[in-house]
Amino acid sequence: MANLKLIDIKKSYGKTQVIHGVNLEVLDGEFCVLVGPSGCGKSTLLRMIAGLEAISDGSILIDEDRVNDISAAKRGLAMVFQSYALYPHMSVRQNLAFGLENLKLDKTEIEKRIQEAARLLRMEEYLKRRPGQLSGGQMQRVAIGRAIVREPSIYLFDEPLSNLDAELRVATRVELKALHERLGNTMVYVTHDQVEAMTMADKIVVLNEGIIEQVGAPLELYNSPANKFVAGFIGSPKMNFLDYSSLPESLKKFAPENSSIFGIRPEHLSITEENSLPLEVNSVEQLGSDSYLYGVTIGEQELSIKLNNQTDIRAQQKVDVGFDLDNAHWFDSAGKSL
Amino acid sequence: MTAVINFFTRTQGKKKLSLVDWVSYIFLFLGFLIIFLPVLWLLLNSIKSQFLLQKLDTNLLPMDYERIGRATVYGPEGKEIFMMKDLPSWVLYWSDLSEDERSQHDIDSFISQYGDKEFYALRSHFGLVPGQSKELIINKNLPEWLIKYPSMFPSAKKEYDPESVISVLNIEEVRLLSEYLGLKPYKPNGFTSQIFVTTVDSETSEVTEYSVSRISANKDTVNARLISNPQAGIVKLPKNEIILNKSLKPAWINYTNPLTKNVAGMDFDAVRCLNNSVFVTIVATLITLLINSMAAFALSKYRFNGQIIFFIIILATLMVPASVLIVGIFKMVSVTGLTGSLWGVIIPGAATPTGVFMLRQYMLTIPDELLEAARMDAASEWTIYWRIVLPLALPAVAVLGILSIIWRWNDLILPMIAVSTTKAAYTIQLCLLDFQGEYIAQEHYQLAMTVVSLIPTTLVFVFLQKYITTGIATTGIK
Repeated sequence: MANLKLIDIKKSYGKTQVIHGVNLEVLDGEFCVLVGPSGCGKSTLLRMIAGLEAISDGSILIDEDRVNDISAAKRGLAMVFQSYALYPHMSVRQNLAFGLENLKLDKTEIEKRIQEAARLLRMEEYLKRRPGQLSGGQMQRVAIGRAIVREPSIYLFDEPLSNLDAELRVATRVELKALHERLGNTMVYVTHDQVEAMTMADKIVVLNEGIIEQVGAPLELYNSPANKFVAGFIGSPKMNFLDYSSLPESLKKFAPENSSIFGIRPEHLSITEENSLPLEVNSVEQLGSDSYLYGVTIGEQELSIKLNNQTDIRAQQKVDVGFDLDNAHWFDSAGKSL
Repeated sequence: MTAVINFFTRTQGKKKLSLVDWVSYIFLFLGFLIIFLPVLWLLLNSIKSQFLLQKLDTNLLPMDYERIGRATVYGPEGKEIFMMKDLPSWVLYWSDLSEDERSQHDIDSFISQYGDKEFYALRSHFGLVPGQSKELIINKNLPEWLIKYPSMFPSAKKEYDPESVISVLNIEEVRLLSEYLGLKPYKPNGFTSQIFVTTVDSETSEVTEYSVSRISANKDTVNARLISNPQAGIVKLPKNEIILNKSLKPAWINYTNPLTKNVAGMDFDAVRCLNNSVFVTIVATLITLLINSMAAFALSKYRFNGQIIFFIIILATLMVPASVLIVGIFKMVSVTGLTGSLWGVIIPGAATPTGVFMLRQYMLTIPDELLEAARMDAASEWTIYWRIVLPLALPAVAVLGILSIIWRWNDLILPMIAVSTTKAAYTIQLCLLDFQGEYIAQEHYQLAMTVVSLIPTTLVFVFLQKYITTGIATTGIK
């Protein structure tokens, strides 16, 4: 159990700076998800926390102790890798025991912890197998088990679900969340999938090009994004953005001062004539419970709509789209929320 | 057995042999012959007798010819040559036998069956003349200078008169001492074993028997002596007309003599030689594997200043011919005081650039994430090397191990540089070299011991080759 503090963390490879001063505090027992598009530096940040990557500038504090110069082996953290990184020449049991043997624990304690982890992750029956004989989901469990037996102060996850198929990913997501609730440890989880972030996190950190765009609870980020990037990144399908200048006067009058961009989520649009814009529908997706319309509106700007029912609107049809202005977002020219 | 038959009669799917099957089997068979024939040749030659080897016998099997004894006896009637048929082989090969084997035969009772000239010939052949002469000199109280007389210089011999001294003895005793002292008309008698050949007259189909001393491979004729009338002199017989009576006769003494320290005129100890070689091979291979894999681990998995330069230096040593290094290694060995010690053979070759390069290339394929996972698992760098990288590089390590064992076992240059002055530290290769001296050539022992020296490397290869084919590191990581 520990809290984690990053103070003005920077990272450069030669002259290229990839992390531009990150400040972050993860509280004890919190499930913190680092999310962002590829190349935003989230994995680098996690590896710096783990101690696998040198820190160019700034400090990392674990329980208020500066750990910059402590090696990965001595930080007492555990990490689950994207490729699982199971030792292929060892059985599952040996994989789990390896870290504990390095810590010079006695045999009965090692056996006890392995049995506990095996029961927790339901992998008793394949303790004797080699990683090559396991399915992707089983390897995933072993990788998590290897972290659990260590009883680390902080768990680090580096996109652990990205190698699983969709169905298994959802199931494992739920399990991981349950595991966190049971163990109550601090966890830092890196993903590029905003659905994973939304469903699992206590706290989401949205990273973009080496800086933190916003930190907050999932719904907080959803409901009141700090800027256009977060607004666009969180939520699926992504938020619609329209130029302020292209809006009709009937909408402009609701805008705060200095507005430059108008944003609205697809589910806050409806087919109505009130406060409406014309939409030429390009394609329709019917999912049964709900329907998605994709099309273009004034100034050839793209617009998507989520309807909570089935619809008989066809492609190429022209409809009027109404706005739920209570849920509208306004951004200034720099993309900041107003 | 049925599994073996199934294995060698497999076809490409269908029951009948297709063209591809034929080509494959022919190819495999030819390949097998190309590789196996030289080995077979070595094995079969190692059981040929010294006589056959010195004649550069080209038969594949150790076929020995039927032999006949030819004796030359000197007497009052002059030189007489005659043939002795039906002698047992131990008599014919008496000069090749070891002390142990000679002691198993009762010469005295054997020789007593013969009389006259045959007795004199065999007495010389068995080397009984000096012993019996000395006994006679002592028993008859003859002057002691007689014993030394045969080895005297001619000028010294003039001062003595042996004829008058022995004239008091009876005729048999005079003959014995005359043979010993080399007094005319007697001389030491000769006895050789010769090849028994026959010719058949094409018209009368009359069989004529000859004895031949050698059949040389590059001549069309042989020099033969008529057995019915040996005194008649030598005739030249065309090689294609003679008939040889051959029989299979493996010379196991090629193996038994050196292995039981029974090599005449040489201090050959097979056990000591093999022990030295085994020690050098095992210790040197272990050190080589350890040093090379550690160097390869550092070069492949760490980033440090000068990494490229170190790698280039290691690669550059690959391009230096080994013979250039001989003087340098000799100086190194002698300065460090390792001359004559097996460590002088082991240490100079411990780090091989080939091995470092090979292991480095293999270790590059081990994912860095495994090492990072181990670091997260609180493993020390040594633990990472010993428990993660080394087991995963096992296929490459096994290959290097096999190569190192073969290099070390067959190495002649390093032992010559380091231990050639100390007989006790000779490795098997140096010991084998000893059979080929300036004045003696014992190829029959050399070939046999070469076969013995091949056994360990063959066993090692058979045992370790499964590690090459088992790709342990290929499973696991996606």
